[in-house]
This record gives sequence, structure tokens and C-alpha cells, in this order.
Amino acid sequence: MPPRIPTPRRAASAIIKSTSSGAGTTRCLAQPCQQVTASFSTTASRPKFSKARRMFRAWINSHGSVFRKHVPGQTNYLQPMKANHRNVDQPFPLNPLYKSQPVLDEKARELIWEKVMRNGETVKAVSAELGVDIQRVAAIVRLKEVEKDWTAKGKQLARPYARAVLSMLPTTSFRANQQNEPFEAINEMHVHPHTMQQLFWPTSESRHFTRADAAKAFHPKLLSADERVPHPELIQMEKEVLQGRPLWDASERFKQAAMESERKAAAKQQAKAALNEKYTSRVNTGRFEFRFKQFNSENVGPKGRSRTAVGWRYGAPYYDRSKGHQIKIPMSVP
Amino acid sequence: MKPKRFHGLKRPKLRQTWNKYNLYNIFRMRNPKIGSGDNETFFQQKWRAKGMLRGYHGEHVVERKWERMFSRRLLGVADMDARYMAEYDGSEMAAGRGSGKDDPPEWGTDIIRKRTLTPYMQMTFSPMERRLDIAVFRAMFASSARQAKQFCVHGAVKVNGKVMHYPAYRLNPGDMFQVDPDRVMYATGAKKKGGLGESTRQPQATAREDDTDASTEVVTEVEAEAAAEQTSEPKAEKTEKDPETTDAAEAAAVDMKPTRKQIQDVTAQVKAILADEPVSVQQKQNLRKFIKNVKPLLSRAGRANASPSEITDELSKMMSGLNLDTTSPGDKAEAASPSQPRSTSSNPMDDLTKDELKQLEQRMAEHIRDEEENPVDFTKPYATPWRPRPYMSPFAFIPKYLEVNQNVCAAVYLRHPVARVGSAEVPTPYNNNVSQLAFNWYLRRR
Repeated sequence: MPPRIPTPRRAASAIIKSTSSGAGTTRCLAQPCQQVTASFSTTASRPKFSKARRMFRAWINSHGSVFRKHVPGQTNYLQPMKANHRNVDQPFPLNPLYKSQPVLDEKARELIWEKVMRNGETVKAVSAELGVDIQRVAAIVRLKEVEKDWTAKGKQLARPYARAVLSMLPTTSFRANQQNEPFEAINEMHVHPHTMQQLFWPTSESRHFTRADAAKAFHPKLLSADERVPHPELIQMEKEVLQGRPLWDASERFKQAAMESERKAAAKQQAKAALNEKYTSRVNTGRFEFRFKQFNSENVGPKGRSRTAVGWRYGAPYYDRSKGHQIKIPMSVP
Repeated sequence: MKPKRFHGLKRPKLRQTWNKYNLYNIFRMRNPKIGSGDNETFFQQKWRAKGMLRGYHGEHVVERKWERMFSRRLLGVADMDARYMAEYDGSEMAAGRGSGKDDPPEWGTDIIRKRTLTPYMQMTFSPMERRLDIAVFRAMFASSARQAKQFCVHGAVKVNGKVMHYPAYRLNPGDMFQVDPDRVMYATGAKKKGGLGESTRQPQATAREDDTDASTEVVTEVEAEAAAEQTSEPKAEKTEKDPETTDAAEAAAVDMKPTRKQIQDVTAQVKAILADEPVSVQQKQNLRKFIKNVKPLLSRAGRANASPSEITDELSKMMSGLNLDTTSPGDKAEAASPSQPRSTSSNPMDDLTKDELKQLEQRMAEHIRDEEENPVDFTKPYATPWRPRPYMSPFAFIPKYLEVNQNVCAAVYLRHPVARVGSAEVPTPYNNNVSQLAFNWYLRRR
């Protein structure tokens, strides 16, 4: 009677049968042979990683390890190879033209919110006092309102995230009731495309050619730089100071002027909304509110394709089925 | 064809991600010096430059879509000094040659200083920054632009309070976008060990040098709890006597044994009263309520970071409430008796001075607030308590055209990015030359 336990050769053949593919058998057979030779070999096995990977690992474990965690309160950007001072504001070593500029910290945001919402100061006045862009002041107040709303509703804020992020960014803070360094340039004016052309504009030597004249030379409807800047009231205040008015008085007058201009802007907006409402008739049926507006189908422009015009016009293609979501992606969210 | 690695090491492309491979690639990238030699035609230079930049700026955006977005009109601003504008009305610029007001040229100087230019060419990809997904990435709400895109598609991003599914939505100045805080914490937080993704993924050949802090922290906490229940001899006297250590974790080493013992004793006594003494229904209810309320206190005392003073305070408050509620004089004595062991037991807080106690309490309050804001929660898809993911800080910057409130994970797109004298607002990894060549490529005059 043959032994029940198969010999190694037969065992191997049984395994080969179970794998069932010809290519697989050769691989199965080849592998044990290699292992046998490897046990006698004294050469080191092939390195696991490619050279690039090895270099990466070497870097990440030596110089690169400082980037793993940050020290709260200071930035942690890549340092150039040969530098005698620490790089604190340049995230991309090859691009010196992009700097990481500071952001306002929690305290400064709270201060701005208090000034605008509690003390009732105008956005322009706060902007001029702290040297923060007008849009930024408005945005800070808006976001802070959302935050207060969340707190009132008991919604969990992302505090640990906020703390961590602000501790790795460069930040600026303000002290209340004190003179602060301006945060950014507030009186920046867009470079208008009309002003980017070179003009040959002959005038007499004796003529007093001011900024207003220059604007007219570029385009008849272009306003002077004094009116296009975000803070025209600030220029007026400086003029008054130069004429000998004391600073406190001039600044009071500036605040008045800022208040007045904001009031005018608000009134204008309200008038516009009221006009809109006048030409809209609303029908509320429990479930929906229908709003009907007067439209003139003739107002389609010279080519019949005006964006604001209503209705499909003969000959004008309608792109609602085209690829690329030309119509489906909204252009604005009111 | 084998798909290319997103963060390859062989022929690296810089990407909009916070990946450590990307960090390494940015670190070792040398100035490409396109156009310095004469070995490339102008076409080749432009081709290479735009390829390098497109790899970074919205590589997930199809090229023809980007070509439609591209604008040759680059935005810039000039700083208008209010003081100067008040002093001069512009006519001083015209008063120049011939009037004796122009600066005489300095013929003698050897070095002519270069004027600082406005890097308009760095604004080539500014229309890309308007895209919602890129803005979400720039506001540091996602760890890569692709992840930001996914957030949009999955409906986690709102614009002006309405869900915006389109990552290609182009933000208008004044738009506010919000991202679900949980997603933000997931994207920017450290990875959970043994989390959802981990268990299904096969172990890779790459050595995992990722931290094991999360799991070890959890383990140590559990161990501490178990140890607190088992061992009985008091220890950790020296940590209490040194209140100057600001680390909250050290304060947590205060031994909880006495307080725990007290609570257990009190509960046993109350239970005995309930079982043996004849008390009224109202009193029974009160006693049962007391036992129920004591349970969380007991578990809190077992934790590694509990404050003994607070727990004893709460316990005494509860017991005083019990005293007030009891009406019969016979019960009063019984309810008062449990308070005896507390006064006689050796409280570890006794040998601290008032100042030290105050400091300790303050630190405890801070620590407890931290715990409340950043709790251990195993249901979250990120490591809890939350901490920033590794290699995040070198990528931490927020461009000026965004105003971000991290607490609510919302940001406002203030205006389009602009160029100023000496700086541009579009974060781009290469220098001016490369951007200029790419700009020229997209002008379509090849």
C-alpha cells in the first residue's frame, strides 16, 4: 500500500493542477527555485524604493520634518537653500512676487464688529480709522453676524480649526481706543483700461492741466481720480487740514461726510428697490408667490440677442442644451 | 496608457494640494530658466511654460473651458495717497521740462536702479481664482482644489446661503460662500486611524511614517480610566504642588481616588436609606434622582482630566439640594450624615494655597472649555480631538481678495485679484517669466 501522505513532487503537482493555467504553473515552479538560491546568496536585496523616493524620504525625515507640525504663532514656509534670514512671508520659493500677507485676528474682527454694529459708526469711518479696506470691513461685519447667529442658535463653531489656522498665518491685531498701524492701503484705485493708452494731447504751456482734465482727455465720461477713489471724503479732509483746520475738527467733518454719503447710497438703493416693486405685481397663492413684471419684447437690442431681453427670438440660437453648461450655471446668486 | 502620477517625483508637476510630495516638489523645483538659452523656439518656450502653470492652476479644468475663461484684460490698482492728492491737483506732473522742475539725470552713477514694476503677467490665471472650487481651496477649507470641487458637487458649499452644486460657478465680488464645518474639519484635520477608508484599503508597500498619536491618545485615556478604577494608593503629589506648569495635561494627573471613594460611599448610603428606612414617596423620588445624577459625576471623576474641586463642589451642591427637599426631621439627619466622610477624607486640594487653587481652577476651566469645543467623538470621520493635518502649515496663506471667518467656515470674495506695484495677488508657484510666456500662449498668436 502506498503511503497516504503524498511526496513533495506530487504535492506540488496537485497545487499546479488547482491553479489550472499554463502560465501560472511556470511561475509557481520558478518561484521556489529562486527562494532556494536566495537563501545561499549573500548579496543585499534590491532596494525597495527608487532613487527619487529614497531622496524624498531622506528629505522628509531630515529637513522636511520641520514642516510636519507648526509652531503656533509663526509661519512655517519653505526656506530657500542659501538664506541668511528666515523666510516668513513667501510660500513659493521661486515666486518672490507673491507674499503671504497678514490677516485680521479674532480680536480685530470683534473690534470692527463692535464699532459698526454696537457704536453705530459708518463703514467708511471705521475703514479710514483702522486702515482696512471698505469691502473688508463690510465682509467682516457680515461674517461676524453669521457667527453670532450660530452662537445664538447653539450651533457648534469650528473653533479648533479657526485657532489652528490663525496660529499658522501671519496675523494683525488692533488695540481699542489707540492709534493703530493701518492694515492695508485703503485708497486704491482701479487702473481703468481707458487710462492705459498713450495719448498725444497738445495743450498750451500756460494751461493748468489737472487730473480732471486728464480724465476728460482719456474719455469724455471718465471721472477724475479724485472722484473715483474709494475715499473721496478723505481727500477733502486732508485739504481742510492743509488749509489750517485742526485735525479733530476735520476728522469730525469727515465722519459727517462719510455718514452723509452712506445715507445717500442707502437712499439710492431703497429708491431702486421701490421702483422695482412698483413694476412688479405679486400674487400669493399659499404655496407660491407669483411675481409678474412688465417686459417689452421689442427691447432685444440691435442684434436681437440682448442678455436681459425676454423670450426666444427667431434666428437666435438658444443654448440650453449645449455642452458646457453655458446657461445652467448661474451667473450670480442674489 | 499608464496614467501619470498626480504627485510624481520623476517629472514633477506642482499642484494645488497640501500633499507632502507636493511640498517636496515645490522645495526642490529649480528656476526653469525658460528662454535663457537658444535651444528652444519661442513656441516651445510658451508651450512648456503654459504646461507647467496649467499643472498647478486648475488642472482639473478642461483646457478649452479655461481658454474660454481666459481674459487678456489684467486688473491692477494704484495706491492713491489722500494727502498727496489733497496737496496737488495733478498739474505738477505737466510742469516739467523747461520749467526747471524735472530731475536732472545723474550721468555719473554706475548702477542705475531698476524701477519696481507691477507684475501684471502674474495675473494670467486670475480668472481661475474666481471659480468656486479654487476659492474654497484658497480659503483653506479644503486640502486640494479637487477636494474642494468634490465638496461643491456633493452639495456642501453654499453661495449666499444657497447650495451651489457647480464648482465652475464664478464668484462675483461680494459673494459669500460657506462650507459645511464638518467637511472642513475632515479635509484639514489629521487622519483617523483605522477609520472608514483605512480598513478597506490594502496595506501599501510604502512605509507608513504617519503619526500614531490619535490611536495612542485614545488608548492612554482608556488605560488611565482603567487604572484609576483599579489602583487604590494615592500618588501624583508633586504635580499638584507645581501650578506653574501651564500644560493642562499635567494638571489632569491629579488623583481622583478620594473623590471617587466619597461618591461611591454616598451612593451606597443613599441606597441603604432607600432600602431600609421608611421614607415618604417624595423623598424616595428625590433620593432616586440623586443616585441617577451622581452616576455621570462618578464617571467624570474617573477620567484622567477631572478637577477634584469641581466634582466635590457639584457633589455638595447636589447633597444640599437633597437636604432642602427632604421635609421630615428624621430624614434630615440621615441626609446630612453622608456629608461627613467628605469633610474627614484626605482631600488632595487641602494643601494648596488659595492662589494656586485659583490658577488650577482657571486652567481646569480652560481645559474643560477646550474639551467641550474639541471633544473626542468616534463618529467623526477625522481624528478627534481635532488637530491640523501634518504638512499643512507651509501651505497656509490666504490671499487678500478673500475675507475668511474660520469659525463659521465662511468667506467673502471681496473683489477680483489685482496686481500692485511689486506684487500680484494670484498665488502662483513660478516667477514672472514663466507666467508671461503662458500669457502669450493664451493670447493665441502663436
